[in-house]
Order: sequence, then C-alpha cells, then structure tokens
Amino acid sequence: MLRNRKMTQLNSTCWAATLYLGMALLAGTTNAEGEPFRPVAGKFPPLEEALSYRGELVFVDHANRRGSIRVQGVGMYFRNAPHPFAMLPYGIVRYHGAPADLRDIPLGTVLHVRGFLPPDPKISAVPVLPVNNKMKNSGYSGTGIFPAENHVLLLEDEPSHCQREGKVWKLKEVDLKNNQGMIVASRELKEGEDGKASEETMTFDAATRIWRGRERLSVTDLIVEGIWPASGKKSLDGQSVLLGVTWKPTPDGVFTRFHISDIWLDDTAMQRAAQNQTETHKALIRSRWMPAWIDAVEYGRFGSAIVTATLFGGMDESLYTDFKKDVSAMMNGVENTLKHAGGNYGPEHMASRGGILAVTKTDGKVPLGSSGIQIRFETDLITEGIRPGRVVRVRPGNGNWPHVRLPREEFVGDGSNLEARFPTPAIFPKY
Amino acid sequence: MRVLRKAPRSVSEEFDAEGACLSLTPRVSRVLLPLAAFCLRLSLFLFGTSFNFADEPFRPEPGKFPSLEKAHSYRGELVFVDHANRRGSIRVQGDGKFYRNDPHPFAMLPYGIVRYHGAPAELRDLPLGTVMHVRAFLPPDPKLSAVPVLPVNNKEKDVGHYRGTGIFPAENHVLLLEDEPSYCLREGLVWKLLEVRIRNNVGKIIASREPKAGGDGNSTAEELTFDAATRIWRGRERIRVADLVTEEAWPASGKKDLGGQVVLLGITWKPAPGDGLSGAFTQFHISDIWLDDDAIQDAAHFQTETHKTFTRSRWMPASVDAVKYETFGRATVTATLFGGMDDSLYNDFQKGIAAQINGSENTLKHAAGHYGPSHMASSGKILDVTKAAGEIPLGSSGIRIRFETDLIIEGIRPGRVVRIRPESWPKMQIPREEYLFNNSPEDRFPTPDIFPKY
Repeated sequence: MLRNRKMTQLNSTCWAATLYLGMALLAGTTNAEGEPFRPVAGKFPPLEEALSYRGELVFVDHANRRGSIRVQGVGMYFRNAPHPFAMLPYGIVRYHGAPADLRDIPLGTVLHVRGFLPPDPKISAVPVLPVNNKMKNSGYSGTGIFPAENHVLLLEDEPSHCQREGKVWKLKEVDLKNNQGMIVASRELKEGEDGKASEETMTFDAATRIWRGRERLSVTDLIVEGIWPASGKKSLDGQSVLLGVTWKPTPDGVFTRFHISDIWLDDTAMQRAAQNQTETHKALIRSRWMPAWIDAVEYGRFGSAIVTATLFGGMDESLYTDFKKDVSAMMNGVENTLKHAGGNYGPEHMASRGGILAVTKTDGKVPLGSSGIQIRFETDLITEGIRPGRVVRVRPGNGNWPHVRLPREEFVGDGSNLEARFPTPAIFPKY
Repeated sequence: MRVLRKAPRSVSEEFDAEGACLSLTPRVSRVLLPLAAFCLRLSLFLFGTSFNFADEPFRPEPGKFPSLEKAHSYRGELVFVDHANRRGSIRVQGDGKFYRNDPHPFAMLPYGIVRYHGAPAELRDLPLGTVMHVRAFLPPDPKLSAVPVLPVNNKEKDVGHYRGTGIFPAENHVLLLEDEPSYCLREGLVWKLLEVRIRNNVGKIIASREPKAGGDGNSTAEELTFDAATRIWRGRERIRVADLVTEEAWPASGKKDLGGQVVLLGITWKPAPGDGLSGAFTQFHISDIWLDDDAIQDAAHFQTETHKTFTRSRWMPASVDAVKYETFGRATVTATLFGGMDDSLYNDFQKGIAAQINGSENTLKHAAGHYGPSHMASSGKILDVTKAAGEIPLGSSGIRIRFETDLIIEGIRPGRVVRIRPESWPKMQIPREEYLFNNSPEDRFPTPDIFPKY
C-alpha cells in the first residue's frame, strides 16, 4: 500500500516533471503553421525566416556580443523596457554602411534587427521567451516589443539599412526655430516609385551633424548659408539624403518620434563615413582573426588533419582576399561569443598551425552570415575546439594580420568558469 | 595631480606590529597573540582595511563636495558602460601588461562630471575604447556601493600575472572622468607632434604632452599608433591619413619630422603587436587629431548641444542643503546645483520663475515610476539665486537656489539628490531604464553583481 502510494507519488512527480520539461523545452512552441524555425548549428539560416523589428540601442556588452534594444511597438515607446538580444556567432553588424562590431555603435542609435529564436535555449545568453511573445500585449507599450526572436543575424543602423535596400530619405519640409525643429521625410526607393513609402516627422537639434563631402556642418551653418531658414518652414522638394536616426524623449505627449542625429547630403559624405568604419573594422578583424565555422574534419595520423571551414560573412572584401591557396595560416577554436578560449596565452600561442590547401567560392546565392568562401586547411596539430559545427578564428599568413594579445574580457580564463564560456542572462535587469 | 592625503599604513606595517608582540612570555603569547591577531583581523575586516585610526582615509560625505586634490588620479580605457546606473568599467593603466588588466568597475558620484571633446557629457556619449582620465574617491558609503568595495590600499597591491600595481584602486567613485582633449584643455596642455612614421596609411607618431604656453621640461616623448581609421579634424573638415598623404603634409611611406606641430589628440587603446615576451604592451592609439582651434571648438559645440538637450529633458541635478518646513506641506528648499554643465543651462535659473523639483536616486534616476518627472514633481517658484564667491569645488556649480513649494515631498530632504526644472525646459517622459518602478531595492541600490569576476 505504502509502496503503491509511493509509486503514485513518483508517477505524479514524473508526470509533472515531464510536463514541466516539455513546456520548458517547447516554451510555448507550436503555432498553427507548425514547429517554429530555429537556426541549426552548421547551417546559415535564411534571412526570410527572420523576424524583423527596430529599436534604440540601450545597452551593450560587447565582449559577449549582446546588448539591449528598446523595440518599437505600437504603444508608448518610453515605457518599453530594454529588450536583451545576442548576436549569432555569424551575426553581422553594420554601421554607416560598413562592417562593424557592437563596440562601434553609439548608445541611442536606432537599429534595424533581423532576429531568430535561440538556436539552443539551454545556453542562451539572453532570456528565453515564449515563441509567440511578439504577439503579447504589454499594456501601454502595446504588442511586439519583447519578441522571442532575440538571436540576431543582422543588426544595422539606418544608413546601412537604406543602402542595403536601395533606399534614401526624401526630405519634404523643415520647420525650424532656434536651431532645432522637425523634418518631414519619407524613406523611399532611390530609383523609381515606392508605393510603400509614408511620411514621417522627426526631430533635429543643434547637435545634429550634417555631412557634406569632407565637411561636418551644423544646423547653424545651413542657416548662415541660406539653405535653411533661421525660423519657420521651408519646402525641401524631396531632397535625397541618408539619415542617422536615434531616439530621445519627446515633449507634447508624442510617444514615438525619432530623432535625426546625422544627415549625409551627398554620396561622398556617406562613402567617407563608410571608409572610416570599414578601416576600424578591418583593424579589429585582423587583430582578432576571421571567424568561421567547421564544415568537416578529415583526421590523419599523429594529430594531423585537414579542416574544411566556411568564413563568416559581412567583412570587407580585402580581408577575404588575404585567404589564398598555399599561404600559411593559424586556427583556434572559439566560443559562440567569438571569445578566444585559450586563456592568457594569446591566439597565436595556442593555435593549430598549417597551410591553406584550397580556397573555393560558392556559386549562386550566399546566405547572409556566410561569406560563401570555404577554405581547406591542413594542420599537424588538430585540437579539441576544431570540430564540425564549432566556431573558430582563422589567421592567414598573408597580409598584415598582427600577432596581438587580447584584452582580458575577450578571452575565457582557464575554462573553469562556466559563466565565462556560457554567459547567463543574469546581467539584464528585470523591469 | 598629486595625492595630498598621507598614505595609509601598509598591511605589512600592521603585521610588523603583530610580530613585535613575540617578545611577550610564552604563556601570555599563547593567550594574547591569537586574540590580538583575531582583533587585528576583525578590525581589518570591519574597516575594509581602513585600519589607520590616526589618519582615517578620506571619503566624500553627503552634502559636501570633496576637494579634487584629495582624489586619486589614474587613467585607462573605457571598456563597459551601464549608463542608466552611471557606472562602468575601465582598464586602468598600471606598470604591467595592459592587455591583461581586468576591466575595473567604477561608479560616478551623483555630482561626478563627465567631459568629452572638451564639453559636458554623459557616460552614454563616450565610445567604448576611449582612454579616460579619472579622479576618484573611496566609496562614500560602502554599504550602498554599486561597484565592488576594495581594501583602501588596493592601489598599492601588485596583483600579479604581469599586471603590476595600481590597476584596481579602491578609489572607484568618480568625481571627474574626462577624455584626452578635455584633460588637455583643462590643464592647459597640448600634444606636440615630433615625428611620423608611416606605411600603407598606418604607423606611429612620436609626440609629447606639454603646456600650451612653452615647454616645462618635464614632458617625455611617447610613441602612439594611428591607422587608416584615425580621424583628422581641420576646421569643419574631417579628413583621413590618406588625405594628408595626398596633400603631401605626410609622406606616403617613411619618416617625417613634424617639428613639434601643436594639436590635440583623441586617445584609445588597441592591442599592440607582441609575442607575449616582447612587444609594446601599453601603447595607446590615436583615434582623432584636431589640427586647429576651430576643429576642437566645433567638436565641443556638438557635444555641448547634445548635453544641453539631455539635461533639459532630465532636469538639473542638485543637492538639498536645507529645508524650512512651514504649514500645510509648504516649505522653502535651499539647493546647490551640480557643476559641469554649460552656462546657458544655469542661466535659465532666475529669481521669480516657476520651477519643479523631484527627489532622485544617487544614480540620478527618477524615483517615481511611469509617471514622468513633471507629473510627480513639487511645483513652486524660485525665490532667489545666489552664486558663491571664491573657489568653487568641482562637482558644484556654486549656484544656490531657494525654492518655495506648497507640496514638500519625502525625497526632498537635506543631503538628498534632486532634479530641478525651470519652467522654460520641456516636460518629457523618460525612458524605462532611467526610472524606478515598484521600489525594488536592486533598482534603488544597484549591486555590483553585474560585473564579471575574472
């Protein structure tokens, strides 16, 4: 009897545990269309499967490639709590129309996001939410501000987004007083008609930077040159520009009005901004090495192996051209945060050395996240971190890729601290 | 800046004192020595090693702006920012290998001042990687510290692993945080460029930081890196190294004597090449060069305007000096406006105008939830505005207002931090991370848990 009761208790406990585990694993999964899409290790997910949203960058933990965004919904924007996100290992950041790292993006910048559900919820560095969370109404904040799709494939600022989509902002009207005011503009296709475009009113102020060729002008400069009035309205006749967009609290009970931080008046100005950002990012990647993942390992004898790896995408072309057949190279296993895993000893000290046997470029459409470039690398010292599906960093012996020691926050210590390898979401405040 | 306070006695001196007891009789030693050792350790623990009773280490006190001369001075790279709680981490320059230095948490004092590009700023304005000059104090109240509390003599510790001393100072509550050009402008210094070495738009500059008006003979030349991303500002132009090469101001390759050209520099840090045994481990990098006064004034203009807009929307921080209570909730509040803002903001505080005042946290967060500052504030009138004569301590504006309200509230008490809005400033709602809601203690008193333990 006692045994039966115990069995019943055990069965109930098991049932509850199974139910709980199932709920936890599915985390509110299936919708009418079936199993929700999650990226899978070893495959670059199609951009079309990503959820698209935008919002203000509020917090950055660049060493762990994560941060928080205040997502634009339909409600009172100021009330929206910052929403944590993590970059996928192959996730791409673009700033000023150029490759970037999270550390390059000023807080306050409004970013366009393409995010997915966590590939592996158990090791998510940000909170795991019910899969249908984007449909949840968060009171005065409205719906859509806490999407479960918080693992980001593409994070881009406004000019990057516009350039990728072939769009520009057409300025319709400026209304000005004391070097600040509002601009009415619409984001439209650069070439041809755009039936989707609608007008938006944004603020600007005396701190707004206006870029013309090599010059950085202020609103005052445009007034002095007679281009904008000192006070009042002026039609701008659909002048084509690119805009940098941020968010600031807005007076007069307007809850979601964005702010113009930068105006690029011409192509030269935008190209020069992109060149600066490109050079910043090139220097970063050369010192931290090119991220890639392992497609296959053919094990040889005595620790030798041939490794096939796909270089991650979104870098400047000049970095990829340093990967050539027959050049020497080094390879290191890294974490999903792209952190070096070999402790105080720098990447070149710990790396598997060898040579690049072949470099091939995929034909056809290359998914975002991938460069479409695959290398075959031969080494006589294959290490644990270099296995199919794992992320690595690769340094070609060609070009100017310096040997540097990484700053402390960019490497995992002796491996005993699990939190360093798998950052938990505990860092994010619960509002 | 020299640290004027006397250094506390070292731990080794304390233990020497313990050792002196060994001359006691064996019996007394057996009983008293463990007791003495226990008492010593207890006192070390209780006082956070502030064991020097004769010369208690200096800590800022509520209601008093500490003297800059008593601050500990250091510099380092900004690595992490939690702007909503006015704190972050800096990789402090010591005498070891810079790259190994763990980011060191710091918190801004409520009246702590941030300067960027020679203008008032907020932590959110500073790009990660910027090398900052720091003037900081021990935590005013260790119990409430938003960053780890360390032994008071921590700056003297050699932390090992090739990192050397000085990289984890206990003085992590910051009065002044300023980038390189701000520091130079305040101290009357400039960088004099002596030589450039360049190849493929990348290279090194030999330069020395010296008084603008003549050399003082104390400066030493420093080698800094630059690259193709270094921004060079000339008037309102932003140019690049490649442009200077095209204009033949710099050679395409090789060395050139720059003859002590006077500039201001923006400084960051990037890992410098080295194999771990040799190499330049603490070499800083030039992010920006301002070639002329117009260029730096232009930069300061943009930053000043950014900060003015920010302060107008979040209101002027101040500390309450006195409250004179009257009947039916009426009171007259005397408050000192915090320093470091653009003068035009202070000019908006005029006798006779309407104003609003709100209690806020030491992080300068709004304390009253979703309802915006203007909804929750005590409204009233500024009775008078006075400006202190003589030297004003950093952190204070020296401007004191007397404000009369018919609704005095809990957060407005002597020693507390408040935010004040003169009537000409806009009424706005502020973003979620900048206000408290539901009075969670962690919201009010952020703990240091956010900082990784390396």
